Amino acid sequence: MKRLAAFVVGAVFGLVLSWSGMTNPQVLRDGLLFRDPYLMLFFASALVTAFVGLRLLKVLQARTLLTGEPVAWTTVRPERRHVAGSVLFGTGWAVAAVCPGPIAAQLGQGVPWALATAAGLVLGIYLYRRSTAGAPSATVKNARPSPVSASASP
Amino acid sequence: MDQQLAWYLAGPALGLCVVALRWLLNERLAATGAWSELVERGPARLGTRGWLLIGVIAGGVVFGLFGSSLDGYGYLTEHFGAPVVVAVLVAAGVLIGFGAKTAGGCTSGNGLSGNAILSPASFVATATFFGTAILVSFVIEALL
Repeated sequence: MKRLAAFVVGAVFGLVLSWSGMTNPQVLRDGLLFRDPYLMLFFASALVTAFVGLRLLKVLQARTLLTGEPVAWTTVRPERRHVAGSVLFGTGWAVAAVCPGPIAAQLGQGVPWALATAAGLVLGIYLYRRSTAGAPSATVKNARPSPVSASASP
Repeated sequence: MDQQLAWYLAGPALGLCVVALRWLLNERLAATGAWSELVERGPARLGTRGWLLIGVIAGGVVFGLFGSSLDGYGYLTEHFGAPVVVAVLVAAGVLIGFGAKTAGGCTSGNGLSGNAILSPASFVATATFFGTAILVSFVIEALL
């Protein structure tokens, strides 16, 4: 049931990424070159919607529909790796004019070029895992409580 | 689906995917995390993250049946032959995968899900990857 739910959300996500043109490198490139405001408007409206929706879940103290646990999350303090990793990611994103979600959607559409990008993506994740094998997880180490409880302290 | 969906429909729909996954499973919508599970576990033992990835592919299949198909690959196939494009895409894919893992997320994990919960690391990551991508796009434009 949990996997089915994840599949359905993923399918909607993939369809929206496709229909919005995020799987078309020209659309992404026009956005990053400020030739077309679509990318920024799309991203900003998605972010505002997600923010408002998650706030509502928090305010209403919602429990998850499938597991019954309280909806909760942790935020992360910025570190150098967030900058360094994002410089690499941003470079690849601009060159391939596609990001990880749309790469999967391109595969579904039957875009043959996506096989090359996906192969590189999998290799990159594999190399990261090899380079950090045995190291303690930075994500867990630096996680801190959700902003609601964090903001209660001075 | 031949025309691009209006941003004021597509954007909120994308945002609702983030909310839906949180409400259903208390999970972060993150495409790189989904790919990671495939790398970590292989295709036979996928959990929710891996099935999210299968879903994204399925969403692409649906669009492929009803939408307009991609002709070529943007500026890359306009300027380069197939072997160069493949090499560039593999190299860019490595940067995307290694970089996103290092930064703890990509455009979805940090850019949408992380920013929406006001995670400071995601603010830093998003400003960095958007800034870098804009800069690199203009550099490419100048060099072509």
